[in-house]
Parts: sequence; structure tokens; C-alpha cells
Amino acid sequence: MAAEESLQVQPLPLMQRLTQEHTRVFFFSLGKLGRNPVGTLLTALVIGVALALPAGMHVLTQNLSKISYSWQDSLQLSLFLKDSVSTERGAALAREIRGRPGVQATRYISREQSLAEFRSQSGFGDALDVLQDNPLPAVIAVTPERGRNKLQVEVLLGELTRLPEVDLAKLDQKWLERLYAILGIIDRAVFIVGLLLGIAVVVTVGNTIRLDIEARREEISVMKLIGAPDSFIRRPFLYTGFWYGLAGSVFALVLVLAGTLALSGPSETLASLYDSSFTLSGLSFGSSLLLLLTGIVLGWIGAWITVWRHLADIQPQ
Amino acid sequence: MTDIIHFNQVGYRYPGGKDVLSDVTFSLGRGEMAFVTGSSGAGKTTLLRLVGLLCKPTRGQVMVDDVNLASLKNGDIAPFRQRIGMVFQNFNLLYDRTVFDNVALPLVIRGFAYSDVQRRVRAALDAVGLLNREKSSPLTLSGGEQQRVGIARAIVSKPALILADEPTGNLDPEMSKEVMKLFERFNQVGVSVLIATHALHLIVHMPHRIIHLDGGKITARRPRTPVLSDLPPFPGEDSRGR
Ligand SMILES: Nc1ncnc2c1ncn2[C@@H]1O[C@H](COP(=O)(O)OP(=O)(O)OP(=O)(O)O)[C@@H](O)[C@H]1O
Ligand SMILES: [Mg+2]
Repeated sequence: MAAEESLQVQPLPLMQRLTQEHTRVFFFSLGKLGRNPVGTLLTALVIGVALALPAGMHVLTQNLSKISYSWQDSLQLSLFLKDSVSTERGAALAREIRGRPGVQATRYISREQSLAEFRSQSGFGDALDVLQDNPLPAVIAVTPERGRNKLQVEVLLGELTRLPEVDLAKLDQKWLERLYAILGIIDRAVFIVGLLLGIAVVVTVGNTIRLDIEARREEISVMKLIGAPDSFIRRPFLYTGFWYGLAGSVFALVLVLAGTLALSGPSETLASLYDSSFTLSGLSFGSSLLLLLTGIVLGWIGAWITVWRHLADIQPQ
Repeated sequence: MTDIIHFNQVGYRYPGGKDVLSDVTFSLGRGEMAFVTGSSGAGKTTLLRLVGLLCKPTRGQVMVDDVNLASLKNGDIAPFRQRIGMVFQNFNLLYDRTVFDNVALPLVIRGFAYSDVQRRVRAALDAVGLLNREKSSPLTLSGGEQQRVGIARAIVSKPALILADEPTGNLDPEMSKEVMKLFERFNQVGVSVLIATHALHLIVHMPHRIIHLDGGKITARRPRTPVLSDLPPFPGEDSRGR
């Protein structure tokens, strides 16, 4: 207790002090959680499930849109020719169009061929005999080059529509648009579910930490008595939220990975039935990182809200 | 340099209660040691709580270490408390930590380097005779030992002022004398000490001032002993950097 000793002993400079303090709390909070492994794991598991659900749904829509993108290659344009266009002109037009940029192939189907195809495919052949004239137009089926996106295909469609020989041009994509619409809905649903479950994570962490604060009322009160600032008291709880978020998102990653592995076998079987080389892909590295970050941020927010609401209530006696 | 504590016509009333203190005016000089006495319910604890800013006066002014406590903002309260060592009748120790960690807490809060923390905690434990118990849990200590841990925690950051509320309330006569001697030793190196107690038999022989509370007022006081006002506070301990 000598006076000369106090001359050398000063609080550390700010940066060093913060580093020392954060390192201490980092391990202190981890140790606290480690002393209650069952409770900690259960909480982390709940958080993990809540995070895995939207993440899993995200993986699903990613894969669906990948499939639909590969299906886009089979897009076709149908050009219905005016009745006045002769068979020769129609066939020549088909060749001309094949020479255009962005066109992979064309096929000319004359009115007679149309009728024949219709007869053999529809089963309404006999009904057509009643008609005097062939009601079907000649068609040029245009296959765009692979890898063209929807917009480019639509531009092509517009150009072809303006050809004088063409009566009507149509993109055979209704089903694809429906699929996109459904994917859009699922995407939105993932977002909403993600939002709700995100709130659930915040509440879960918040509630766990609220119980922790409740259990440590005495301790917090004593800390305040001996001059601990709020930031000092807050810190271990915020780190606890951080750990919960981290552990929860690691759980979620494992769950999504397990789900992907479990589904990859059956989905490949399914894809092979469709002659597709499709393979199920899991969370990308970036998405995994995002998931971890989301978990940590949500855990931290949950802790922060709780601490902010409850620490002020505790006044030293 | 003015007194370390100055009460000017202080009144205090608990929310919804009667006046506990109605008109209290007194000072504690720098380096002075004094006792606050009075029957149970006289307001001794309340007076110490006012000094430690655990409550705010409903009337009058409290100055501590040249700070008007009414002027402190919420964020200033914690740093202010760090400058005071408080000893409680019920110890207020943390029972899930070792004796060492309890005593270290005020230094950890203030952000001292671990090497300094270790040195000063050992010095404080040595001063209260508990160096050999630093790794124990406070739960395994007797009441008197726990009280001494509380005292070590109060002195470890070398405050200019120590407040102690019934520090001998749970101790046997022998231990009580020891603890009072301990406070006198701190006082001898310049620390101001204010102790609330009703153990009159312990203190009548001591040469320190007694402030007696009755009916919310100071009704008697033994004259001030020569004050060590000229002694500066511990260098480096004054957060305002004088
Ligand atoms: N939180 C509170 N709310 C209302 N009244 C209180 C509160 N705390 C104390 N009091 C009242 O204030 C008065 C003074 O209490 P205080 O604790 O200061 O007395 P004391 O002198 O310390 O007594 P003791 O010697 O028993 O510790 C008492 O009448 C008590 O009933
Ligand atoms: Mg009392």
C-alpha cells in the first residue's frame, strides 16, 4: 500500500484496456456457457432449427431455379405464317431465320404437315375430315441459341413478329412463367419465414439471457455498487448472445448440410429420369458465411435488447 | 482543498415514507476518520447511501471530493463510485468467484493490467491477513473473513474515502477490534474513513469524531480530531487528474 507503488500503477491505455477486457469476457462468457452444457446446447439447437428452416428453403429455391434455368434451353418460338405464304417461301424464310444471330435452329412445318401431326397426335383426326379446308397454319419452330436469357429471347420474338409473312409469334413458355411465378412466391415465403424465425431467434436468445440476468441480480447489483459502468456489466451478456448465435448457426449449417446430403441421392435418381445431369447443390460458401453472420447478429441483437431493457431495473440496495 | 464530505442541510425521505434525515449538516475532513452512530433506524445507512450516491437527497446538498452529487449525470455515477471504497454489513461478495477475483473486481473494472491487478490484490489481501485464502470461495470463509475480503476489495483501488456500514455487525468482539484497527491503519496513511456503527463500546476509546444521529438530525458530536487535510490524496487516484 506504499504511495510510490500507486505512482506506477495506472489503468492501461484505452486500446490495450479494451483488448484485455474483450479477451477476458470472450473466454469468461464461453466458460459460463460451458458450465451449463445441456441448457446451452438446447438453446443453440432451437436457434439452429429456426435458422435452418429458411436456409433450407433457400437451398431448395436455388436448386429449383437452377433446374428451370437449364430447362430454359428448351424454349421455342412458334411463328404462325399467314395463309398467303407459299410452302416454298415458308421454307426459305425458315432458312433465312436460321441465319439470324441468336438462332440455333429452325424447322418449317407446312400446313399439310401440321394437319398430319395434329391428326396423329390429337386423336381428333376424324373431326377434321368434316371441315372443308385445312384450318391449321404453317409454322416455323425457332430454337434460340443456348444460354440466351429471357429478355434476349423476347427481343428476338419482337423482331420475328414484325416479319410480313408472320401472322402471330408465340413463346412457348407459359409453364416456365408459372414456374417462375411459383418460385417468386416461394422466395417471398422464404423471406417472410426467415423474418419470423429471425424474430424467434432474437426472442429465444433474449429470453435465455433475461433468465440469466434474473439469476444474477445480486451479482449485477454488487457490480454496480462497486462502480462497474453499464458497459462493463453489459459485455458478458452481449458475448453470451454472440456465442448462442454462433453455436445456433453452426447447428443450422450442419442441419442444412445433412438435409442436402439426404436429398441428393433421390434427386439425382429423379434427374436421371429426365435425362438431366442435374446435381443438388447445398449452401454456397458465401451463403454459409452469411448464415453464420446472421446467427451472430441476431444473437447479439437479442442480447442487446434484453440487457437494455432489464439492466436498468437492477439498482444496488 | 475542501473537506472530502460535506453535507449542507440535507434531508432525505424514502418514497412514500417519513423523513429519515431532516436537517443534517456536517463535514468529514480529508484524512479524517469518524463514526456515525445512532439507534437502529436513525438513518446511519441512509447517510452512507447518500455519500455513495445510492440515493439522492430530497433536500440540501451533498458534496463528495469537491463534487456536488446532484450535478452528476447517470454516466458519471459509476466512475464516481470507483473513487470510493464501500464496505457493507452483508459483505456483498460474489460467491461464484474466488476471494482473489472478488478483490480484483474494482481493478478489473477500471482496466488495470493483470500484472498490476495481481500485485495489488495480493497487497490488499495481505493487509487484511487473508493472503493464504486467495483461491478459496468466499462461501468457505467465516463471517469475519468474508468481512475482511469486503474490506480488501474496498481498499484495493486505493480510494481517498472509505465508507463502512456496520463493518463489525457480524463479528465477535475480538474480530471487531481487529477490523477497527484495520480501518485505523488505512486512516493513518491518509485515507478518509466514515464508519456507521452502534458498537459504541468499541469506539468510545478511540480518538475519532463521533457523529450521532437522532430524529433525523445530528444531536451530538465529539469534536474533530486533528485533521490530516494537508496530506494529498493518493497520487494517480484522483480521476480529475489534479
Ligand atoms: N427502502 C426503504 N424504503 C422505505 N423506508 C426505508 C427504506 N430503507 C430504510 N427505511 C427507513 O428509513 C429509516 C432509516 O433507515 P436506516 O437503514 O438508514 O437506519 P440505520 O440507522 O442504518 O438502522 P440500523 O442500525 O438498524 O441499520 C428506518 O426507519 C427505515 O425503516
Ligand atoms: Mg443500517
